[in-house]
Amino acid sequence: MKRSLLGAIGAIALTATAAVADYPEKDIQGIIQWGAGGSTDTVMRSVTPHAEEALGGSIVLQNMTGAVGAIALNHVAGAAADGYTLLMGAENPMLYKVMGLGDKDYSEFTPINILARGTPMLVANTDAPFDSYAEMMDYIEANPGSVRFGSTGPGGLPSVITAMIETVEGGLDVIAVPYDGDGPALTGLQGGAIDVMPAVLGAAIEGIRAGKMKPLAVFDTAASDKLPDVPAVVDINAEYNTYLPWGPFFGVFAPKGTPDDIVAKLSAAYATGAQNPEFIELMEGRGYTLMGISGDEAEAFLTKWQQGTVWLLQDAGLTKTSPEAFGIKRPGE
Amino acid sequence: MAVSILISFTFSWEVYPAIALMIGIYMGGVYGGSRTAILLNIPGAPSAIATALDGYPMAKRGEAGTAIGVTTVMSFIGGFIGIGVLALAAPLVSEFALTFQPRDYMLLAVLGILLVGSLSQGSLLKGIFAGALGIAIGAVGRDPLTFTERFTFDLQLMEGGISFIAVMIGMFGVSEALLQLHHVHTPSLRQKIGRILPSLATVKKHLPLSLQTSTIGVIIGALPGTGGDIAALMAYDHAKRVTKAPERPFGEGAIEGLVAPETANNAAVGGAFIPMMTLGIPGDAVTAIMIGALFIHGLNPGPMLMIDQPDMFWFIVGCLVTANVFMLLFGLTGIRLFTKIVEMPRAVLIPLIMLLSIVGAYAVNNSVSDVYWMLGFGLFGYFMRQYGYPLGPVILGVILSRLLDDNWRRAIISEREDLGLFFHGLFSSPLSTVLFVAVIVIFVSQTPLWARGKAKLFGKTEKTA
Repeated sequence: MKRSLLGAIGAIALTATAAVADYPEKDIQGIIQWGAGGSTDTVMRSVTPHAEEALGGSIVLQNMTGAVGAIALNHVAGAAADGYTLLMGAENPMLYKVMGLGDKDYSEFTPINILARGTPMLVANTDAPFDSYAEMMDYIEANPGSVRFGSTGPGGLPSVITAMIETVEGGLDVIAVPYDGDGPALTGLQGGAIDVMPAVLGAAIEGIRAGKMKPLAVFDTAASDKLPDVPAVVDINAEYNTYLPWGPFFGVFAPKGTPDDIVAKLSAAYATGAQNPEFIELMEGRGYTLMGISGDEAEAFLTKWQQGTVWLLQDAGLTKTSPEAFGIKRPGE
Repeated sequence: MAVSILISFTFSWEVYPAIALMIGIYMGGVYGGSRTAILLNIPGAPSAIATALDGYPMAKRGEAGTAIGVTTVMSFIGGFIGIGVLALAAPLVSEFALTFQPRDYMLLAVLGILLVGSLSQGSLLKGIFAGALGIAIGAVGRDPLTFTERFTFDLQLMEGGISFIAVMIGMFGVSEALLQLHHVHTPSLRQKIGRILPSLATVKKHLPLSLQTSTIGVIIGALPGTGGDIAALMAYDHAKRVTKAPERPFGEGAIEGLVAPETANNAAVGGAFIPMMTLGIPGDAVTAIMIGALFIHGLNPGPMLMIDQPDMFWFIVGCLVTANVFMLLFGLTGIRLFTKIVEMPRAVLIPLIMLLSIVGAYAVNNSVSDVYWMLGFGLFGYFMRQYGYPLGPVILGVILSRLLDDNWRRAIISEREDLGLFFHGLFSSPLSTVLFVAVIVIFVSQTPLWARGKAKLFGKTEKTA
């Protein structure tokens, strides 16, 4: 009895060491933080087949939704750090702590690859009484409390962009109408339920091309080559340079403690996958900026992103708990 | 939901077969949900909840074959009307769907809530209780607009809310299995082996109704955020109101009670594609997944898709037509074999229902906690039935909870939380006014006041005549 137990332990230890050398020797679970058909889902489902090819293994993707992505995050954080459970996530977890949505963020994970970043922009209903960013600001000043901005809840892209505008330009007297995602909000925009929506360029571009909504400004340090006629907001007000470039991002993460060579293998696989011309074409077509960073570079990006964003939200009074409580320093400190 | 499971292995395919497969599954799933609803009183999909109300009583009379026959033909007709509207009037309908403001969605949800009246067989008070319970279940979890926790009792398990599918499978599947345990030794029903295909006269007789309910189906399907489930329930209610003399009372096996929801939910399929194809906006959960699939396959779903790639539009219409034809063919084959399910000894049937309920609840989110919710609601549903509480309103409440709550808040926030401005808004657009008047009329028509008034009125007309 004792011997067989020892034998079993020995066998487990053996397979554990063998696992690193032969990784992957079984299917890898890729947990997608958001629902099927969403932007995180589509990005992950388009890059993963190319990464699988490079890895020589199979990654089974599964959507795990709920609680603004916290359920998937907690699930993967609690899984064994053996490289067989990965998180396919977006930027939101970096805000969970200050927003009171959860007690974990990407500091519990090792980034495998941060694939791409989206560019935010302001779009307006075609019947809105203004045609540019400057006209919009004038109109809001002249008609306080009448312009309706779409929002997607505290911590969502619209709340960050609105906080950025308020920090740079001063208070905005607008009505924030909440939607459960930028898709439904952009639908509301086209139907006239809201006047202005801060959205990611990729979600708005088809509507703009068709003339169903009008672009006001791109929130980036330069105009997008997808929409060359739309001005970059830094050209209107240079103070935005402090906060830009900023954007939601997509990344693949493994729980902290995953053996280094497995992380290296996965990083290499996703780096190769992200080079695939089909994937690049797809991402650029939707106006995403490809990043493809990993290791220390990715860690540094995450830290900087979190510092900038949480303090912006803190100063706008949108947080539940001060970033200080979690030891998140002000940018530049 | 099968579509979301299938998407993962279609994305390495060519775009055309991938889309064709998804459409086939979608169409088949909406229709297939009726099969278990009729035979076992367990709706196989949310859109088949209304089908069980009259389909199962028919099976209990030994007419399961007839019920399936009618359902199949009516689904086919409804499906074609939906596809026809998609092919011929998509831009028009999508423009109309876009004019729905948050307050209109709210009024629509209120109209939906009023269906409690027609779904509670027996006590209205118990029906209202069940509906309110459903709305509360739908509100559990983090509110998607503010991320505030509601009814979560600080449990992480509750944060994601309660899966609607788990509630549905538990309430209908498990509670039915438990109820059947009481009759485990009663010999099972013999099914009549009669005519399966409805006669031309039957189809003709119900054609006006099916046209009306298909219209309901297309419009509700085309509205972003509402789908076949709400459409079928509203169509059922409509049929109940307009059918003056059903051959049998509703709830006891009325054919009209099958015609209405089945035409509406299949018409809603074509409807759901309307905003997807013309605007890149999903009409329901399945078309949302298809938009993602189009993106993965290198297409840009949006208002320009129909202009850039009109062939994709016609390919989708073609797939829908093919799917609809095969739905009729497959639907009509093997009906006699299926009706044998009802004749199966209960000692075999009950464990099977339990097993399939567990598999179904797990498969939706790959979550074991959904299975526990499902079993819990199954037990709860059993006691509700024992005490004469209807289950339909619970599911109705869960379906409508978010629609009502989110849109009421959107509407009132848009008016700077001014109730006066909100009521003013109700009369500022013809659509809102029509919906508001409909809500009032339907509400009043369900009160005893109306019945008394009507009796007086009819009494008078008889005298004068």
